[in-house]
Amino acid sequence: MTIAKPLASGAKAPGAFLEQAAGLALIAAPMALLITLILLPTVAMIWGTLQVPSDSGAQFGLGRYQAFFADAYSMANLRYTLFQTLASCATALTLSLGIALYLRFSEGRIATMIHALSLFPLFVPSVVISYALVRFLGPNGLLQLLLEQVGFTHYRTPYLTPVGPYIAFVWENLPLPVLVLGAGLSQVSDHAIEAARDLGAKAPRILVEILLPQVRRSLLIAFALIFLGVIGSFTVPYLLGPPAPEMLGVFMQRTLGNLRRPEEAQVQAVMLMLMASVVSGFYIATMLQSERGRR
Amino acid sequence: MSFLRRAPLGGILLLSVMAVLMVGPILTVVVWAFAEKWRYPNLLPTVWGLKYWYVMLGRDTVINPIVTSIALTTVATSLAALICWPAAYAFARLRFPGRQVFLFSFVAAQAVPKFALFVSIAVVFLRLDLIGTFWGVVFVQMLSAMLVMIWIPAAAFRGIPPALEEAGFDLGASRLRVFLLITLPQAMPALAASYVLAYVGILFEVDSALLIGAPQITTMPLVLLSSASQVIVQEAAVLCVMIWVPCFAVLLLTRRFMSSKGIAQGFGA
Repeated sequence: MTIAKPLASGAKAPGAFLEQAAGLALIAAPMALLITLILLPTVAMIWGTLQVPSDSGAQFGLGRYQAFFADAYSMANLRYTLFQTLASCATALTLSLGIALYLRFSEGRIATMIHALSLFPLFVPSVVISYALVRFLGPNGLLQLLLEQVGFTHYRTPYLTPVGPYIAFVWENLPLPVLVLGAGLSQVSDHAIEAARDLGAKAPRILVEILLPQVRRSLLIAFALIFLGVIGSFTVPYLLGPPAPEMLGVFMQRTLGNLRRPEEAQVQAVMLMLMASVVSGFYIATMLQSERGRR
Repeated sequence: MSFLRRAPLGGILLLSVMAVLMVGPILTVVVWAFAEKWRYPNLLPTVWGLKYWYVMLGRDTVINPIVTSIALTTVATSLAALICWPAAYAFARLRFPGRQVFLFSFVAAQAVPKFALFVSIAVVFLRLDLIGTFWGVVFVQMLSAMLVMIWIPAAAFRGIPPALEEAGFDLGASRLRVFLLITLPQAMPALAASYVLAYVGILFEVDSALLIGAPQITTMPLVLLSSASQVIVQEAAVLCVMIWVPCFAVLLLTRRFMSSKGIAQGFGA
Protein backbone atom coordinates (compact mmCIF):
# COMPACT_ATOMS: atom_id res chain seq x y z
CA MET A 1 0.00 0.00 0.00
CA THR A 2 1.32 3.42 -0.84
CA ILE A 3 1.04 6.31 1.51
CA ALA A 4 -1.18 9.14 0.24
CA LYS A 5 -0.96 9.96 -3.39
CA PRO A 6 -1.47 13.67 -3.76
CA LEU A 7 -3.62 14.62 -6.70
CA ALA A 8 -1.88 17.80 -7.55
CA SER A 9 -0.17 17.05 -10.84
CA GLY A 10 -3.14 17.49 -13.24
CA ALA A 11 -3.69 20.79 -15.02
CA LYS A 12 -7.15 21.21 -13.47
CA ALA A 13 -5.92 20.65 -9.92
CA PRO A 14 -5.40 23.84 -7.93
CA GLY A 15 -1.93 25.18 -7.41
CA ALA A 16 0.44 23.81 -4.85
CA PHE A 17 0.06 26.81 -2.58
CA LEU A 18 -3.71 26.50 -2.48
CA GLU A 19 -3.40 22.80 -1.73
CA GLN A 20 -0.99 23.45 1.13
CA ALA A 21 -3.23 26.10 2.60
CA ALA A 22 -6.29 23.86 2.29
CA GLY A 23 -4.48 20.95 3.91
CA LEU A 24 -3.37 23.00 6.88
CA ALA A 25 -6.81 24.57 7.24
CA LEU A 26 -8.53 21.19 7.27
CA ILE A 27 -6.34 19.74 10.01
CA ALA A 28 -6.32 22.95 12.10
CA ALA A 29 -9.35 22.12 14.26
CA PRO A 30 -8.35 18.62 15.41
CA MET A 31 -4.78 19.83 15.93
CA ALA A 32 -6.09 22.66 18.11
CA LEU A 33 -8.07 20.14 20.18
CA LEU A 34 -4.97 17.99 20.52
CA ILE A 35 -2.90 20.93 21.74
CA THR A 36 -5.47 22.41 24.12
CA LEU A 37 -6.67 19.14 25.63
CA ILE A 38 -3.54 16.98 25.62
CA LEU A 39 -0.38 19.01 25.31
CA LEU A 40 -1.24 22.05 27.42
CA PRO A 41 -2.92 20.28 30.38
CA THR A 42 -0.09 17.75 30.54
CA VAL A 43 2.63 20.40 30.49
CA ALA A 44 0.70 22.50 33.01
CA MET A 45 0.26 19.49 35.26
CA ILE A 46 3.93 18.51 35.21
CA TRP A 47 4.93 22.12 35.85
CA GLY A 48 2.43 22.37 38.70
CA THR A 49 3.71 19.27 40.45
CA LEU A 50 7.22 20.75 40.47
CA GLN A 51 6.11 23.77 42.47
CA VAL A 52 6.45 23.58 46.21
CA PRO A 53 4.72 26.15 48.43
CA SER A 54 7.05 28.17 50.60
CA ASP A 55 7.05 31.45 52.55
CA SER A 56 7.94 33.48 49.47
CA GLY A 57 5.27 31.98 47.20
CA ALA A 58 5.66 28.83 45.12
CA GLN A 59 9.14 27.54 44.54
CA PHE A 60 10.61 25.01 42.17
CA GLY A 61 11.28 21.71 43.89
CA LEU A 62 10.71 17.98 44.09
CA GLY A 63 8.91 18.07 47.44
CA ARG A 64 5.65 16.60 46.16
CA TYR A 65 7.42 13.66 44.62
CA GLN A 66 9.42 13.10 47.79
CA ALA A 67 6.13 12.94 49.66
CA PHE A 68 4.81 10.38 47.17
CA PHE A 69 7.90 8.20 47.47
CA ALA A 70 7.88 8.46 51.25
CA ASP A 71 4.28 7.27 51.47
CA ALA A 72 4.19 3.48 51.84
CA TYR A 73 0.61 3.17 50.57
CA SER A 74 1.33 5.15 47.38
CA MET A 75 4.38 3.03 46.72
CA ALA A 76 2.43 -0.18 47.29
CA ASN A 77 -0.14 1.02 44.74
CA LEU A 78 2.60 1.87 42.28
CA ARG A 79 4.21 -1.56 42.59
CA TYR A 80 0.86 -3.31 42.37
CA THR A 81 -0.09 -1.35 39.23
CA LEU A 82 3.16 -2.23 37.52
CA PHE A 83 3.00 -5.89 38.53
CA GLN A 84 -0.65 -6.27 37.51
CA THR A 85 0.05 -4.62 34.15
CA LEU A 86 3.09 -6.75 33.34
CA ALA A 87 1.38 -9.98 34.39
CA SER A 88 -1.71 -9.18 32.29
CA CYS A 89 0.43 -8.23 29.27
CA ALA A 90 2.51 -11.39 29.46
CA THR A 91 -0.53 -13.65 29.75
CA ALA A 92 -2.57 -11.91 27.06
CA LEU A 93 0.38 -12.02 24.65
CA THR A 94 1.16 -15.69 25.34
CA LEU A 95 -2.45 -16.79 24.94
CA SER A 96 -3.03 -14.74 21.82
CA LEU A 97 0.22 -15.97 20.29
CA GLY A 98 -1.05 -19.50 20.85
CA ILE A 99 -4.40 -18.67 19.24
CA ALA A 100 -2.73 -16.85 16.33
CA LEU A 101 -0.41 -19.80 15.73
CA TYR A 102 -3.32 -22.23 15.83
CA LEU A 103 -5.21 -20.09 13.33
CA ARG A 104 -2.17 -19.79 11.06
CA PHE A 105 -1.99 -23.55 10.62
CA SER A 106 -5.67 -24.51 10.65
CA GLU A 107 -8.64 -23.88 8.50
CA GLY A 108 -12.27 -24.88 8.46
CA ARG A 109 -15.25 -24.20 10.61
CA ILE A 110 -13.59 -24.67 13.99
CA ALA A 111 -10.81 -22.22 13.15
CA THR A 112 -13.35 -19.67 11.92
CA MET A 113 -15.30 -19.96 15.16
CA ILE A 114 -12.15 -19.63 17.27
CA HIS A 115 -11.18 -16.54 15.27
CA ALA A 116 -14.61 -15.00 15.79
CA LEU A 117 -14.57 -15.75 19.53
CA SER A 118 -11.12 -14.24 19.97
CA LEU A 119 -12.35 -10.99 18.38
CA PHE A 120 -15.54 -10.82 20.43
CA PRO A 121 -14.06 -8.58 23.19
CA LEU A 122 -13.55 -5.81 20.59
CA PHE A 123 -17.30 -5.29 20.76
CA VAL A 124 -17.68 -5.36 24.53
CA PRO A 125 -17.08 -2.16 26.53
CA SER A 126 -14.98 -2.36 29.72
CA VAL A 127 -17.85 -1.55 32.02
CA VAL A 128 -20.00 -4.32 30.52
CA ILE A 129 -17.37 -7.05 30.75
CA SER A 130 -16.35 -5.97 34.25
CA TYR A 131 -19.92 -6.29 35.47
CA ALA A 132 -20.34 -9.55 33.54
CA LEU A 133 -17.24 -11.01 35.19
CA VAL A 134 -18.52 -10.04 38.62
CA ARG A 135 -21.57 -12.18 37.89
CA PHE A 136 -19.62 -14.94 36.17
CA LEU A 137 -16.65 -15.32 38.51
CA GLY A 138 -18.16 -13.91 41.67
CA PRO A 139 -19.44 -15.88 44.65
CA ASN A 140 -22.29 -18.18 43.54
CA GLY A 141 -21.68 -17.02 39.97
CA LEU A 142 -22.26 -19.06 36.85
CA LEU A 143 -18.72 -20.48 36.78
CA GLN A 144 -19.09 -21.81 40.30
CA LEU A 145 -22.47 -23.31 39.41
CA LEU A 146 -21.03 -24.99 36.32
CA LEU A 147 -18.06 -26.38 38.25
CA GLU A 148 -20.35 -27.74 40.95
CA GLN A 149 -22.38 -29.51 38.27
CA VAL A 150 -19.30 -31.54 37.39
CA GLY A 151 -18.52 -32.20 41.04
CA PHE A 152 -15.89 -29.55 41.79
CA THR A 153 -16.90 -27.87 45.03
CA HIS A 154 -13.74 -26.02 46.09
CA TYR A 155 -14.23 -22.93 43.93
CA ARG A 156 -12.72 -19.81 45.46
CA THR A 157 -13.75 -16.64 43.71
CA PRO A 158 -11.06 -14.32 42.32
CA TYR A 159 -13.54 -11.43 42.70
CA LEU A 160 -12.04 -8.63 44.85
CA THR A 161 -8.57 -10.18 44.66
CA PRO A 162 -5.80 -9.14 42.25
CA VAL A 163 -6.73 -12.15 40.10
CA GLY A 164 -10.13 -10.60 39.27
CA PRO A 165 -8.80 -7.61 37.28
CA TYR A 166 -6.06 -9.84 35.87
CA ILE A 167 -8.65 -12.12 34.25
CA ALA A 168 -10.60 -9.13 32.93
CA PHE A 169 -7.47 -7.53 31.45
CA VAL A 170 -6.49 -10.72 29.68
CA TRP A 171 -10.07 -11.13 28.42
CA GLU A 172 -10.23 -7.58 27.07
CA ASN A 173 -6.82 -7.69 25.44
CA LEU A 174 -6.98 -10.89 23.43
CA PRO A 175 -8.31 -9.51 20.12
CA LEU A 176 -5.69 -6.90 19.35
CA PRO A 177 -2.64 -9.18 19.53
CA VAL A 178 -4.54 -11.97 17.76
CA LEU A 179 -5.19 -9.55 14.88
CA VAL A 180 -1.73 -8.00 14.85
CA LEU A 181 0.11 -11.31 15.24
CA GLY A 182 -2.20 -12.96 12.72
CA ALA A 183 -1.25 -10.32 10.15
CA GLY A 184 2.43 -10.92 10.89
CA LEU A 185 2.22 -14.71 10.81
CA SER A 186 0.34 -14.72 7.51
CA GLN A 187 3.41 -13.21 5.89
CA VAL A 188 5.52 -16.27 6.68
CA SER A 189 5.37 -18.47 3.61
CA ASP A 190 4.46 -22.14 3.86
CA HIS A 191 7.54 -22.88 1.78
CA ALA A 192 9.89 -21.52 4.42
CA ILE A 193 8.25 -23.68 7.08
CA GLU A 194 8.23 -26.79 4.88
CA ALA A 195 11.86 -26.25 3.95
CA ALA A 196 12.81 -26.05 7.62
CA ARG A 197 10.77 -29.16 8.34
CA ASP A 198 12.49 -31.03 5.51
CA LEU A 199 15.82 -30.15 7.06
CA GLY A 200 14.64 -31.82 10.25
CA ALA A 201 13.63 -28.80 12.33
CA LYS A 202 11.09 -29.57 15.09
CA ALA A 203 8.10 -27.38 15.87
CA PRO A 204 9.71 -25.40 18.75
CA ARG A 205 12.72 -24.61 16.59
CA ILE A 206 10.53 -23.47 13.69
CA LEU A 207 8.63 -21.27 16.14
CA VAL A 208 11.73 -19.63 17.60
CA GLU A 209 13.82 -19.31 14.45
CA ILE A 210 11.31 -18.72 11.67
CA LEU A 211 7.96 -17.58 13.02
CA LEU A 212 8.86 -15.39 16.00
CA PRO A 213 11.41 -13.22 14.16
CA GLN A 214 8.69 -12.41 11.62
CA VAL A 215 6.28 -11.18 14.26
CA ARG A 216 8.83 -9.51 16.54
CA ARG A 217 7.66 -6.02 15.70
CA SER A 218 3.98 -6.99 15.93
CA LEU A 219 4.63 -8.52 19.35
CA LEU A 220 6.35 -5.37 20.58
CA ILE A 221 3.55 -3.12 19.35
CA ALA A 222 0.88 -5.39 20.81
CA PHE A 223 2.77 -5.36 24.12
CA ALA A 224 2.95 -1.57 24.12
CA LEU A 225 -0.75 -1.14 23.34
CA ILE A 226 -1.88 -3.58 26.02
CA PHE A 227 0.52 -2.11 28.56
CA LEU A 228 -0.70 1.45 27.94
CA GLY A 229 -4.33 0.38 28.11
CA VAL A 230 -4.00 -1.63 31.31
CA ILE A 231 -1.72 0.65 33.30
CA GLY A 232 -4.14 3.57 33.04
CA SER A 233 -7.37 1.66 33.49
CA PHE A 234 -10.04 2.48 36.02
CA THR A 235 -13.26 0.53 35.48
CA VAL A 236 -11.81 -2.99 35.62
CA PRO A 237 -9.87 -2.65 38.90
CA TYR A 238 -12.64 -0.49 40.40
CA LEU A 239 -15.27 -3.18 39.91
CA LEU A 240 -13.20 -6.36 40.24
CA GLY A 241 -10.10 -5.49 42.22
CA PRO A 242 -9.27 -5.60 45.92
CA PRO A 243 -9.92 -2.49 48.05
CA ALA A 244 -6.19 -2.30 48.75
CA PRO A 245 -3.73 -2.01 47.16
CA GLU A 246 -5.37 0.02 44.42
CA MET A 247 -4.31 0.44 40.84
CA LEU A 248 -3.26 4.01 40.11
CA GLY A 249 -6.44 4.76 38.13
CA VAL A 250 -8.66 3.97 41.11
CA PHE A 251 -6.21 5.65 43.48
CA MET A 252 -6.24 8.89 41.44
CA GLN A 253 -10.00 8.92 41.15
CA ARG A 254 -10.39 8.54 44.91
CA THR A 255 -7.75 11.17 45.62
CA LEU A 256 -9.31 13.67 43.23
CA GLY A 257 -13.03 12.87 43.52
CA ASN A 258 -13.52 11.71 47.10
CA LEU A 259 -10.62 13.22 49.00
CA ARG A 260 -10.55 16.42 46.91
CA ARG A 261 -6.76 16.61 46.83
CA PRO A 262 -5.97 17.63 43.24
CA GLU A 263 -2.28 18.29 44.02
CA GLU A 264 -1.72 14.71 45.11
CA ALA A 265 -3.80 13.29 42.25
CA GLN A 266 -1.60 15.25 39.84
CA VAL A 267 1.58 13.72 41.26
CA GLN A 268 0.00 10.26 40.91
CA ALA A 269 -0.97 11.06 37.33
CA VAL A 270 2.55 12.20 36.48
CA MET A 271 3.97 9.02 38.02
CA LEU A 272 1.60 7.01 35.86
CA MET A 273 2.63 8.98 32.78
CA LEU A 274 6.29 8.47 33.61
CA MET A 275 5.88 4.70 33.83
CA ALA A 276 3.87 4.70 30.62
CA SER A 277 6.32 6.98 28.84
CA VAL A 278 9.02 4.31 28.84
CA VAL A 279 6.71 2.05 26.88
CA SER A 280 5.09 4.76 24.76
CA GLY A 281 8.46 6.20 23.76
CA PHE A 282 9.45 2.83 22.54
CA TYR A 283 6.06 2.33 20.83
CA ILE A 284 6.48 5.62 18.98
CA ALA A 285 10.03 4.70 17.94
CA THR A 286 8.83 1.35 16.59
CA MET A 287 6.01 3.05 14.69
CA LEU A 288 8.39 5.56 13.14
CA GLN A 289 10.62 2.70 12.08
CA SER A 290 7.84 0.77 10.36
CA GLU A 291 6.55 3.99 8.79
CA ARG A 292 10.01 4.52 7.30
CA GLY A 293 10.23 0.88 6.23
CA ARG A 294 6.96 1.20 4.34
CA ARG A 295 8.08 4.22 2.36
CA MET B 1 -21.56 -34.18 12.54
CA SER B 2 -18.99 -35.21 9.98
CA PHE B 3 -16.95 -32.04 10.42
CA LEU B 4 -16.42 -32.86 14.08
CA ARG B 5 -14.89 -36.19 13.22
CA ARG B 6 -12.44 -34.61 10.86
CA ALA B 7 -11.49 -31.78 13.16
CA PRO B 8 -8.47 -32.25 15.39
CA LEU B 9 -9.21 -32.80 19.04
CA GLY B 10 -7.04 -29.84 20.06
CA GLY B 11 -9.17 -27.44 18.04
CA ILE B 12 -12.40 -28.65 19.60
CA LEU B 13 -10.90 -28.37 23.07
CA LEU B 14 -9.65 -24.84 22.42
CA LEU B 15 -13.03 -23.88 20.97
CA SER B 16 -14.97 -25.20 23.98
CA VAL B 17 -12.73 -23.55 26.55
CA MET B 18 -12.90 -20.26 24.65
CA ALA B 19 -16.66 -20.50 24.20
CA VAL B 20 -17.16 -20.86 27.97
CA LEU B 21 -14.71 -18.09 28.89
CA MET B 22 -15.54 -15.58 26.16
CA VAL B 23 -19.30 -15.97 25.92
CA GLY B 24 -20.01 -17.29 29.44
CA PRO B 25 -19.74 -13.95 31.27
CA ILE B 26 -21.96 -12.11 28.78
CA LEU B 27 -24.45 -14.97 28.75
CA THR B 28 -24.68 -14.72 32.55
CA VAL B 29 -25.71 -11.08 32.23
CA VAL B 30 -28.34 -11.84 29.59
CA VAL B 31 -29.85 -14.58 31.73
CA TRP B 32 -29.86 -12.30 34.79
CA ALA B 33 -31.71 -9.61 32.84
CA PHE B 34 -34.66 -11.97 32.34
CA ALA B 35 -34.54 -13.68 35.72
CA GLU B 36 -37.03 -12.77 38.42
CA LYS B 37 -35.70 -15.35 40.83
CA TRP B 38 -32.34 -17.07 40.53
CA ARG B 39 -31.03 -18.45 43.79
CA TYR B 40 -27.97 -20.54 44.45
CA PRO B 41 -27.52 -23.44 43.69
CA ASN B 42 -29.93 -23.51 40.73
CA LEU B 43 -28.10 -23.59 37.42
CA LEU B 44 -30.87 -21.51 35.84
CA PRO B 45 -33.41 -18.99 37.15
CA THR B 46 -36.48 -20.51 38.79
CA VAL B 47 -38.74 -17.63 37.73
CA TRP B 48 -38.27 -15.88 34.40
CA GLY B 49 -39.84 -12.57 33.50
CA LEU B 50 -39.58 -8.92 32.59
CA LYS B 51 -40.29 -7.53 36.05
CA TYR B 52 -36.97 -5.68 36.35
CA TRP B 53 -37.32 -4.17 32.88
CA TYR B 54 -40.46 -2.39 34.08
CA VAL B 55 -38.68 -1.41 37.28
CA MET B 56 -35.71 0.11 35.43
CA LEU B 57 -37.74 1.77 32.68
CA GLY B 58 -40.01 3.38 35.24
CA ARG B 59 -37.20 5.05 37.12
CA ASP B 60 -36.12 8.63 36.47
CA THR B 61 -32.64 7.92 37.85
CA VAL B 62 -32.20 5.46 34.99
CA ILE B 63 -34.03 7.17 32.14
CA ASN B 64 -32.49 10.62 32.67
CA PRO B 65 -28.88 9.38 32.50
CA ILE B 66 -29.71 7.42 29.35
CA VAL B 67 -31.11 10.58 27.75
CA THR B 68 -28.07 12.56 28.94
CA SER B 69 -25.72 9.91 27.56
CA ILE B 70 -27.39 9.86 24.17
CA ALA B 71 -27.37 13.66 23.94
CA LEU B 72 -23.71 13.91 25.01
CA THR B 73 -22.59 11.12 22.74
CA THR B 74 -24.49 12.40 19.72
CA VAL B 75 -23.12 15.93 20.09
CA ALA B 76 -19.55 14.79 20.80
CA THR B 77 -19.43 12.23 17.99
CA SER B 78 -20.98 14.60 15.45
CA LEU B 79 -18.63 17.44 16.35
CA ALA B 80 -15.69 15.06 16.17
CA ALA B 81 -16.84 13.92 12.74
CA LEU B 82 -17.19 17.52 11.61
CA ILE B 83 -13.56 18.31 12.40
CA CYS B 84 -11.94 14.89 11.88
CA TRP B 85 -13.35 13.76 8.55
CA PRO B 86 -12.03 16.79 6.62
CA ALA B 87 -8.70 16.29 8.36
CA ALA B 88 -8.71 12.65 7.30
CA TYR B 89 -9.29 13.76 3.72
CA ALA B 90 -6.41 16.22 3.96
CA PHE B 91 -4.07 13.59 5.37
CA ALA B 92 -4.99 11.14 2.63
CA ARG B 93 -5.17 13.39 -0.40
CA LEU B 94 -3.41 16.72 0.05
CA ARG B 95 0.26 17.56 0.22
CA PHE B 96 1.15 20.17 2.81
CA PRO B 97 4.12 20.98 5.01
CA GLY B 98 4.42 18.93 8.20
CA ARG B 99 1.87 16.35 7.05
CA GLN B 100 3.74 13.34 8.44
CA VAL B 101 4.47 15.08 11.74
CA PHE B 102 0.84 16.09 12.23
CA LEU B 103 -0.49 12.67 11.26
CA PHE B 104 1.96 11.11 13.60
CA SER B 105 1.02 13.33 16.52
CA PHE B 106 -2.50 11.88 16.41
CA VAL B 107 -1.15 8.37 16.73
CA ALA B 108 1.33 9.40 19.41
CA ALA B 109 -1.48 11.09 21.35
CA GLN B 110 -2.99 7.73 22.12
CA ALA B 111 0.20 6.62 23.83
CA VAL B 112 -0.70 8.97 26.70
CA PRO B 113 -2.58 7.07 29.43
CA LYS B 114 -6.10 8.44 29.22
CA PHE B 115 -7.00 8.43 32.88
CA ALA B 116 -3.90 10.40 33.86
CA LEU B 117 -4.62 12.83 31.04
CA PHE B 118 -8.20 13.30 32.25
CA VAL B 119 -6.89 14.12 35.72
CA SER B 120 -4.79 16.91 34.23
CA ILE B 121 -7.76 18.17 32.20
CA ALA B 122 -10.02 17.98 35.26
CA VAL B 123 -7.69 20.26 37.20
CA VAL B 124 -7.66 22.80 34.34
CA PHE B 125 -11.45 22.57 33.94
CA LEU B 126 -11.88 23.05 37.68
CA ARG B 127 -10.31 26.48 37.28
CA LEU B 128 -12.37 27.26 34.16
CA ASP B 129 -15.64 26.14 35.79
CA LEU B 130 -16.14 23.49 33.14
CA ILE B 131 -16.35 20.62 35.62
CA GLY B 132 -19.82 19.14 35.76
CA THR B 133 -20.92 20.88 32.58
CA PHE B 134 -22.30 19.38 29.38
CA TRP B 135 -19.70 21.05 27.16
CA GLY B 136 -16.83 20.14 29.41
CA VAL B 137 -17.69 16.47 28.98
CA VAL B 138 -18.29 16.90 25.24
CA PHE B 139 -14.81 18.37 24.67
CA VAL B 140 -13.09 15.54 26.48
CA GLN B 141 -15.19 12.87 24.80
CA MET B 142 -14.26 14.27 21.40
CA LEU B 143 -10.68 13.35 22.22
CA SER B 144 -11.63 9.69 22.52
CA ALA B 145 -13.19 9.74 19.08
CA MET B 146 -10.35 11.41 17.24
CA LEU B 147 -8.08 8.52 16.39
CA VAL B 148 -10.80 6.27 15.03
CA MET B 149 -12.40 9.18 13.15
CA ILE B 150 -9.17 10.15 11.43
CA TRP B 151 -7.57 6.79 10.87
CA ILE B 152 -10.41 4.77 9.33
CA PRO B 153 -11.62 7.52 6.94
CA ALA B 154 -8.04 8.41 5.94
CA ALA B 155 -7.40 4.79 4.97
CA ALA B 156 -10.66 4.81 2.99
CA PHE B 157 -9.86 8.06 1.14
CA ARG B 158 -6.43 6.67 0.37
CA GLY B 159 -7.93 3.47 -0.97
CA ILE B 160 -10.01 5.24 -3.64
CA PRO B 161 -8.10 4.92 -6.93
CA PRO B 162 -6.94 8.42 -7.97
CA ALA B 163 -7.74 7.43 -11.56
CA LEU B 164 -11.46 7.66 -10.72
CA GLU B 165 -11.07 11.24 -9.56
CA GLU B 166 -8.76 12.14 -12.44
CA ALA B 167 -11.37 10.86 -14.88
CA GLY B 168 -13.78 13.34 -13.32
CA PHE B 169 -11.31 16.20 -13.70
CA ASP B 170 -10.68 15.24 -17.32
CA LEU B 171 -14.40 15.52 -18.02
CA GLY B 172 -14.24 19.07 -16.72
CA ALA B 173 -15.76 18.64 -13.27
CA SER B 174 -14.66 21.00 -10.52
CA ARG B 175 -12.80 19.70 -7.51
CA LEU B 176 -15.87 20.09 -5.31
CA ARG B 177 -18.07 18.25 -7.82
CA VAL B 178 -15.58 15.40 -8.06
CA PHE B 179 -15.45 15.21 -4.29
CA LEU B 180 -19.23 15.16 -3.87
CA LEU B 181 -20.03 12.80 -6.73
CA ILE B 182 -17.05 10.43 -6.72
CA THR B 183 -14.93 10.58 -3.58
CA LEU B 184 -17.60 10.98 -0.91
CA PRO B 185 -19.91 8.12 -2.00
CA GLN B 186 -16.92 5.79 -2.17
CA ALA B 187 -15.80 6.70 1.32
CA MET B 188 -19.28 6.69 2.84
CA PRO B 189 -19.25 3.17 4.35
CA ALA B 190 -15.94 3.86 6.09
CA LEU B 191 -17.18 7.22 7.38
CA ALA B 192 -20.32 5.55 8.75
CA ALA B 193 -18.24 2.80 10.37
CA SER B 194 -15.94 5.32 12.05
CA TYR B 195 -19.01 7.17 13.35
CA VAL B 196 -20.53 4.03 14.83
CA LEU B 197 -17.27 2.89 16.41
CA ALA B 198 -16.65 6.29 17.97
CA TYR B 199 -20.29 6.54 19.08
CA VAL B 200 -20.36 3.26 20.98
CA GLY B 201 -16.92 3.95 22.44
CA ILE B 202 -18.10 7.28 23.86
CA LEU B 203 -21.49 5.96 24.95
CA PHE B 204 -19.84 3.49 27.30
CA GLU B 205 -16.94 5.64 28.42
CA VAL B 206 -16.69 5.83 32.18
CA ASP B 207 -13.49 7.80 32.70
CA SER B 208 -14.41 11.21 31.26
CA ALA B 209 -17.92 11.18 32.71
CA LEU B 210 -16.54 10.36 36.14
CA LEU B 211 -13.67 12.84 36.24
CA ILE B 212 -15.19 15.72 34.25
CA GLY B 213 -18.97 15.27 34.47
CA ALA B 214 -19.70 14.01 37.96
CA PRO B 215 -21.62 14.78 40.05
CA GLN B 216 -23.81 17.18 38.02
CA ILE B 217 -23.73 15.12 34.82
CA THR B 218 -24.75 11.51 35.37
CA THR B 219 -24.33 9.27 32.36
CA MET B 220 -25.57 5.76 31.67
CA PRO B 221 -22.18 4.04 32.24
CA LEU B 222 -21.96 5.75 35.64
CA VAL B 223 -25.33 4.28 36.60
CA LEU B 224 -24.05 0.92 35.41
CA LEU B 225 -20.88 1.38 37.44
CA SER B 226 -22.76 2.16 40.63
CA SER B 227 -25.40 -0.54 40.19
CA ALA B 228 -22.84 -3.22 39.28
CA SER B 229 -22.14 -4.00 42.91
CA GLN B 230 -25.75 -3.60 44.12
CA VAL B 231 -27.64 -6.31 45.91
CA ILE B 232 -30.31 -6.47 43.22
CA VAL B 233 -28.31 -8.04 40.43
CA GLN B 234 -30.97 -7.61 37.77
CA GLU B 235 -30.78 -3.81 37.60
CA ALA B 236 -27.33 -3.62 36.05
CA ALA B 237 -28.09 -6.69 33.96
CA VAL B 238 -31.17 -5.08 32.43
CA LEU B 239 -29.23 -1.88 31.72
CA CYS B 240 -26.43 -3.84 30.04
CA VAL B 241 -28.77 -5.83 27.83
CA MET B 242 -30.94 -2.83 27.01
CA ILE B 243 -28.08 -0.59 25.87
CA TRP B 244 -25.30 -2.94 24.81
CA VAL B 245 -27.18 -5.50 22.71
CA PRO B 246 -28.41 -2.92 20.14
CA CYS B 247 -24.90 -1.43 20.04
CA PHE B 248 -23.40 -4.86 19.48
CA ALA B 249 -25.76 -5.48 16.58
CA VAL B 250 -24.76 -2.21 14.91
CA LEU B 251 -21.08 -2.77 15.65
CA LEU B 252 -21.19 -6.10 13.85
CA LEU B 253 -21.96 -4.16 10.68
CA THR B 254 -18.64 -2.36 11.01
CA ARG B 255 -16.48 -5.43 11.38
CA ARG B 256 -15.40 -5.24 7.75
CA PHE B 257 -13.43 -2.15 8.74
CA MET B 258 -11.81 -3.90 11.63
CA SER B 259 -9.90 -6.26 9.39
CA SER B 260 -6.59 -7.66 10.55
CA LYS B 261 -4.66 -5.61 8.07
CA GLY B 262 -6.44 -2.37 8.79
CA ILE B 263 -6.05 -2.67 12.55
CA ALA B 264 -2.47 -3.83 12.35
CA GLN B 265 -1.55 -0.90 10.13
CA GLY B 266 -3.56 1.54 12.15
CA PHE B 267 -1.45 0.74 15.16
CA GLY B 268 1.75 0.78 13.15
CA ALA B 269 2.47 -2.93 13.15
